[in-house]
Amino acid sequence: MEAFRQEIIIGAVFVYMVFCVVTGLWAMRRTHNSSDFFIAGRGLGPIVVSLALFSSTLSGFGFVGGPGLVYSIGVSSFWMIVISSSGYALGFFLVAKRIRMIADLRNCLSLPDIVAARYNSEIVRFLFALTIVLGVMGYLATQILAMAVVMQAILSGTEMFAGIGLVTCVIVSSAVLIFYCVTGGIIASVYTDVVQGFIMMLAGILILITAANVFDGGMTEASAIILADDAETIMPFGAAGIMASLGWFFVFGLGLAGQPHLVTKMMMNKNISDNRSILPMSLIGYVMAALLWVSIGVVMRAAVIDGVIPPLDLPDDAASVFLSVFANPILAGIVFAGLFAAIMSTSDAFLNIGTAAIIHDMPKAIRGHGVKNELMWARIVTVLLAVIAASFALYSHFRDATLVAILGAFGWATFAASIFPVLAIGLNWKGATVAGAVSAIVAALVINFFVQIAGVSLPYGISGGLVAFVTSMVLFIGVSLVTRKPDIGDDIARMMEI
Amino acid sequence: MTRILLYAIFTASLLMGLILIAIGMAESVPNAAGLPHPSIAGTQIGGDGLARLATIGGLGFAFHALLLFLIVTLSALGVHEKYQDSRFILIMLGILIFNLVVCWAMWSGHRAFLETGTTGYFMGFPTPTAWQVYGTWLGAIPLIVLYCWGFRRYIYTAEDEIAFEQLLEDVKDKQ
Repeated sequence: MEAFRQEIIIGAVFVYMVFCVVTGLWAMRRTHNSSDFFIAGRGLGPIVVSLALFSSTLSGFGFVGGPGLVYSIGVSSFWMIVISSSGYALGFFLVAKRIRMIADLRNCLSLPDIVAARYNSEIVRFLFALTIVLGVMGYLATQILAMAVVMQAILSGTEMFAGIGLVTCVIVSSAVLIFYCVTGGIIASVYTDVVQGFIMMLAGILILITAANVFDGGMTEASAIILADDAETIMPFGAAGIMASLGWFFVFGLGLAGQPHLVTKMMMNKNISDNRSILPMSLIGYVMAALLWVSIGVVMRAAVIDGVIPPLDLPDDAASVFLSVFANPILAGIVFAGLFAAIMSTSDAFLNIGTAAIIHDMPKAIRGHGVKNELMWARIVTVLLAVIAASFALYSHFRDATLVAILGAFGWATFAASIFPVLAIGLNWKGATVAGAVSAIVAALVINFFVQIAGVSLPYGISGGLVAFVTSMVLFIGVSLVTRKPDIGDDIARMMEI
Repeated sequence: MTRILLYAIFTASLLMGLILIAIGMAESVPNAAGLPHPSIAGTQIGGDGLARLATIGGLGFAFHALLLFLIVTLSALGVHEKYQDSRFILIMLGILIFNLVVCWAMWSGHRAFLETGTTGYFMGFPTPTAWQVYGTWLGAIPLIVLYCWGFRRYIYTAEDEIAFEQLLEDVKDKQ
């Protein structure tokens, strides 16, 4: 079986991609209008929403960057995972019920629709849409690049595709992504998410079992090896230190309820009461998949320190080297399919919300009404957005990584800082005002952009995202407390009393 | 109650901002955010943990405690004030105390290790790290249990469901 390792891996990835294409074709028959395309007609069951929610949370970063971070800085990066229970709890307590109610009341298709209804403000809608478009470009470009790099690594291990180029890999992987997103919209996206979620959970458990058997003493021996080399790396704050770790706790914990690609899924369930089962199912799925992140990182660092394997060229090679050295070929095939699943499930969610922001929200904010024939334009813009992001990814890879890095900063932290207070607190506090919302969003964008462009390095590992988030929280509540309450619609006011 | 919660959340956020400023102005420690590993390229080490704790340990703990306070108060904000009865407040207080105990166990365990150089292991990790990994994650599980089991009492009661259906009807009639 070992002799056919590459063929098994390629076969697993190929089967997965064929599945995505078939799902796209199936979902196309169920997509009749823009409501179906963007929010699946608000008719999804709890299992589908749960799996879609958690698989979108754990992107390719969780499968590649996560283990790489543990290898590089130790336990510091665990904070991004252990906060998942707090993050999901906050998301459901603050957002899930109310976002679903407003979506029903005002027939909302997107997150900017929700805040426009809540604040009765087109400025807030526009700023939300702008934040989403900027963030989506950075996220999509990095996800597409990651997908192509992994595909190139897999294919170049075979004789037939030994010299395959990155551009070809970008085209092939993007084509599959575009196909099922364009044909089936969010319906294809969430149903592929279901399978993607199962693959990710299976991969997480199998990897944990494999990792626990690399050393005779299991994970305890791996931890002891790291402790003997540098104790702080395996202690609660890892090599990156106290404030970097607590910053991740803040930004990833509270920030989960501010991620547009996640909270949009809270608009799609059929019944509000399904939320009580969606929450635990999402959390369990996430934790099972995230086992991969922790176990590969710890074992790879211990294996390098112990001389079992040579040091890695790059920390991000941790997962792929682990799979080639320690994993059975079938497991490697499942995990690589899981990796593509993780990347695609996040990418399709971003394509969807980015498209909605461009064709639905920005025209509404500027002209007062959306475009005619939204479904057709949604499909066209989905293609354009993916093509631009793919070109952007290639440009950054071959020419200049700065642009993607800047837009990459508009990732999790910026979404968290600019969206969380306005959405999560604003949906539960009638006193929140337009001025509070605008100041919070603008401050979050400016601080994140400034820290990134100016290359500001803050002491003790404090991140720009953390500063932006704390500032936006203070501004949102502080400014709202001293400005006049907005005139919100009667239906929204009554909804907030429920 | 909502107003009290809002002021509490605002105060906590403000204090966290002040802590960040204080940390930014504190005396710098060379390995505060890690150092390159002396022999393994691409990896970092933490180095002298006691030195890192000495300067900003207290501020870091305060930031951590305020963050836990923020998580609990924000969760409480998601429950309508008509359901925030004394039992609910007691539950939320219990959850906060549980989280603070876990937080304290992690910090004190870490400090004890730095002072003695010895630690036990629990489920694959040194004890302080086990508090971080399992304790932090489990700390929010009572919130999730409260949400799921208390859904019909605190989040979306039968009366809420009727009121929302009535609201939908009224909106449809207006249109």
